[in-house]
Amino acid sequence: MATIALPGTETAVQPVDVAARHRRGGRGGTSGKAGPVTYVLLVVSAILSIFPLYWTIVAGSHTNAEIAGSPPPFLPNATIVENIKLALEQAPIGKAILNSIIVAGSITVGTVLCCTLAGFAFAKLQFRGRGLLLSLVVGTMMVPVQLGVIPLFMLIAQLEWVNQLQAVILPTRVSAFGVFFMRQYLVSALPNELLEAGRVDGASTIRIFWSIVVPVARPAMAVLAMLTFLTAWNEFFWPIIALTESNPTVQVALAGLGSGYVPQRAIIMAGTLLGTLPVLIVFAFLGKQIVGGIMQGAVKG
Amino acid sequence: MATVTFDQATRIYPRAERPAVDALDLAIADGEFLVLVGPSGCGKSTSLRMLAGLEEVDAGAVRIGERDVTDAPPKDRDIAMVFQNYALYPHMTVGENMGFALKLAGVRKSEIATRVTEAAKILDLSDYLERRPKALSGGQRQRVAMGRAIVRSPQVFLMDEPLSNLDAKLRVQTRTQIAALVQRLGTTTVYVTHDQVEAMTMGDRVAVLKDGVLQQCDTPGALYDRPANVFVAGFIGSPAMNLVTGDAVDGGVRVGSAVLPVPRDQLDRAAAGNGRVTVGFRPESMHQVGPGEGIPVLVTVVEQLGSDAYLYTKLAGEGADDVLHPSDVVVRTDPRTAATAGQQLWLGVREGALHVFDASTSQRVD
Repeated sequence: MATIALPGTETAVQPVDVAARHRRGGRGGTSGKAGPVTYVLLVVSAILSIFPLYWTIVAGSHTNAEIAGSPPPFLPNATIVENIKLALEQAPIGKAILNSIIVAGSITVGTVLCCTLAGFAFAKLQFRGRGLLLSLVVGTMMVPVQLGVIPLFMLIAQLEWVNQLQAVILPTRVSAFGVFFMRQYLVSALPNELLEAGRVDGASTIRIFWSIVVPVARPAMAVLAMLTFLTAWNEFFWPIIALTESNPTVQVALAGLGSGYVPQRAIIMAGTLLGTLPVLIVFAFLGKQIVGGIMQGAVKG
Repeated sequence: MATVTFDQATRIYPRAERPAVDALDLAIADGEFLVLVGPSGCGKSTSLRMLAGLEEVDAGAVRIGERDVTDAPPKDRDIAMVFQNYALYPHMTVGENMGFALKLAGVRKSEIATRVTEAAKILDLSDYLERRPKALSGGQRQRVAMGRAIVRSPQVFLMDEPLSNLDAKLRVQTRTQIAALVQRLGTTTVYVTHDQVEAMTMGDRVAVLKDGVLQQCDTPGALYDRPANVFVAGFIGSPAMNLVTGDAVDGGVRVGSAVLPVPRDQLDRAAAGNGRVTVGFRPESMHQVGPGEGIPVLVTVVEQLGSDAYLYTKLAGEGADDVLHPSDVVVRTDPRTAATAGQQLWLGVREGALHVFDASTSQRVD
């Protein structure tokens, strides 16, 4: 499974409060220079974050016996190319990656769009039953996914969607967490005056959403997109129920990899490495959208 | 250009005990600059937002020209608004900010460019059209907010404390610029402020509100010379008018040990309520009189301003404690002959400069 640590993304999207930062001030806070302790801590966390990926490459280029040896190998070698070829032969990894991109991509686009719309409505529009509806949405987060699997599978079977991609896309098109996350961001980051200025300027609610809310919400949307894409990419439980190895996502395909009497870890790791690359690319792209100070200059104060 | 009419317009916030704006009646002439002024929470911003369509009107009506806009959405009212915190779109350049409304209205691109350039020239923003709001100073942002309003050539300008975020010097400067600009454009303007100096200097007429109720609406001069009630008398003018409540006695109103002369007829009507009368006199209408002749006071603080000096004094002598509103009596004097702290003075009020109010109703009596 691909796992990537995301240190600090939660705090990065908060609107930058310069005054508060100055107030906290403290040692080295105002000078902007970090001390050696900070550097050591950052280097250690960087190593800890990168190591699993590095180990995937190392383990992907050695046999079971070599990895189990003492001391274990610390450098990768060219065998990984061989192992990647083997992995591609054993499972339809190319198709799986394409499927996963379609699945995770659709889920991400749908979730970010719907959650931003709903979050905006809950944060800034006045309507009857707003509080109750939001509680209901948040309440659904407490229902475990496992409870719904059997009825969900029956529904999907009735629709004759088993082993089709929409079976894994549609059930997770909107997430309660995303709605709540976007609402929390927009409540504080989007000043009411900006919406009122839009209304006075003659914009309809939909126009305000596209021209004012979305640009302001962009950093939070990027974070939500990252989290959603990662979750969708790593999803295993429901896809392995709804799909088969003939039309798999990456995780379903990896489950069938190297499975003999003794699992061949090198091949599994080589496959995993392949399955991780698209996630890395998505993260590099979305990371650029997380920019501080997006609201700077909008309102005084 | 258009007139603006508030006809018994009322706004009651959900779960509020009293209306935020209570049966507001106001007729604003075409091209007039009207200022709504009052302490915070008096309903001045709410009134403006009702005119903008950002606040519901619970009773009564709001009209722009002949058109009833009570239930019309903001975009159908042909108004432009300047917000206290400017509310600039952070992701758009200055030019895009100013042209956004025109773009929404489907105006041609070349036409938008012409109008934005023209407005930018008037506001001295030509060099900044490509910048984002965050790269501008406070004063420049304020001008962009103004520019966003003027490019639209709306029927009415609405301004909600547009100067309160500027520093003192820039505020005075911008105040003059806005007044000149609006006069040149000749557009009907409703301007909200809590600063009575701003209200007096900018408005053709000033409407004073308190607790959602209109107290008086008149020209700055008339508000100053003939305040309709005790609240307006105390609110307009800086330093504020001295207001003292005392018993009506033969020949006038007793203030401490002195009696301020009030004509018989006026005194009778003012004292009709509970026998007490509130009198007001402005700092500049006081003069020093000989010992024992006027109101005895003790000077506590002297403020030297160069052009003037203000004496802050306390009522002294017999009966000083019986007087209601026992606050300082402020006197404006010549800075070169000003008294010193601790000195005892006797003060008289210039003839015809005494304002008389019924103490039970707070209303002016002439």
